[in-house]
Amino acid sequence: MLNEERVVLMTKMASYEAHEGKKCLAIGSYFRNDYIGWQVLKSIISATIAFVVVFAMYIFYDFEIFMTEIYKMDLLEFAKNVLFLYLGTVGAYALISYGIYAVRYSRASKSLRAYYMNLHKLSAMYKNERNG
Amino acid sequence: MTTLLVAKQVLMTIYSKYEVYITPLLKFLLALITLVLINSRLGYMETIDRMTVVLIVALMCSFMPMNFIVLMSAVFVLLHLYTFSMECAAVIGAGFLLLFLLYLRFSPKDTVVVVLLPLCFLLRIPYVIPISMGLVGAPTSAVSVACGVMVYYMIHYVTQNATVIAAMADEETAAKFKFIIDGLMKNREMVVTIAAFAMTVIVVYLLRRLSIDYAWTIAMTAGAVVNIMVLLVGDLIFEINQPLISVILGTVISFLLALVLQFFVFYVDYSRTEKVQFEDDEYYYYVKAVPKVTVAKPDKKVKQISSTRSGTGRSTRPTHHS
Repeated sequence: MLNEERVVLMTKMASYEAHEGKKCLAIGSYFRNDYIGWQVLKSIISATIAFVVVFAMYIFYDFEIFMTEIYKMDLLEFAKNVLFLYLGTVGAYALISYGIYAVRYSRASKSLRAYYMNLHKLSAMYKNERNG
Repeated sequence: MTTLLVAKQVLMTIYSKYEVYITPLLKFLLALITLVLINSRLGYMETIDRMTVVLIVALMCSFMPMNFIVLMSAVFVLLHLYTFSMECAAVIGAGFLLLFLLYLRFSPKDTVVVVLLPLCFLLRIPYVIPISMGLVGAPTSAVSVACGVMVYYMIHYVTQNATVIAAMADEETAAKFKFIIDGLMKNREMVVTIAAFAMTVIVVYLLRRLSIDYAWTIAMTAGAVVNIMVLLVGDLIFEINQPLISVILGTVISFLLALVLQFFVFYVDYSRTEKVQFEDDEYYYYVKAVPKVTVAKPDKKVKQISSTRSGTGRSTRPTHHS
């Protein structure tokens, strides 16, 4: 038997799965801490690569001056400054990413909650039909 | 006025129904225009400066996701620059890499702004983008707009100083490097433009969210005014000497274009024709859901859907869709 109400519900759910739901389902398949942790890790790696690129640009900018100064300056002090700068920038970036991905996760789970409710409704419809 | 509204409804109906064909066509056109403009400005590498290559890549872009156009544009730019001068390619490549690693990673929905903004700069109507992004985007669009401005000025600087860079001897790598980075970091015009555009986006966004009549028009006007003012103030402080007439004229034209945009693309949540398939224990379902758009004249069609199972020959109630 074709239950029109059921077909409409299934169509809406299939359309959700094909578009907005794809991303949400992918996010929802992780636990909150796993998802945020993995994304923040990726952010830290990206920020590290970005820091290395900027540092390389900085070195090459005044390469000749740098080459002459490298024997005169305090390498330890320089390394310490670079390290603090690195930790500062990567830390700030990781914090921002944490915020962004936490918000994304909560939005995805809210959207999925509606989807799962529809799933329950659908399953209830099937059960009713089977029972008479 | 009513004929315009009817025309708008008809256009939206057509778009909802044929979105499946219109979207790839638009992506193809965008990719084509972008790549042709890149080739015309930076045509250093002959292998990719050919129409056949451009057409093939544009065709690929039409059925890939939108970010593919951004990727291909970046690849084209870097290939041309590499042929011209390795140092240029290195610096601009590093710039692109930084933009990607730090911001575009989050794949905001408006990465295409990074391609559209330089295009609009070349067409002398850059101000239409911040105003439009404030209307349809989020405050984070300000960052995308800033990225677009940076991309434009990076490439603009290279094309402006191409002769100087070419004249530098091949051994002067470090000097070339320093020259290019200097041009980018100390570019006051770029900083002022970024500030102006970012503030325009935020002002337009905040104003259009107000629940007052004509909020959108007020937002656009305020955005245009903020844009002009910040550009002028920056001009005075940093002595950039941008021609005042072109700024005001450009802003006015952009405002008018934004009005047109507002009329047609008023809301982003349009409904599109959906074709979905699913199955349960009894049937396979092939469903086509057509959005209802109120058109001036009603247009009724009655379709009968019957099950394909032989022998049962059952048919459902006829469905009406207008």
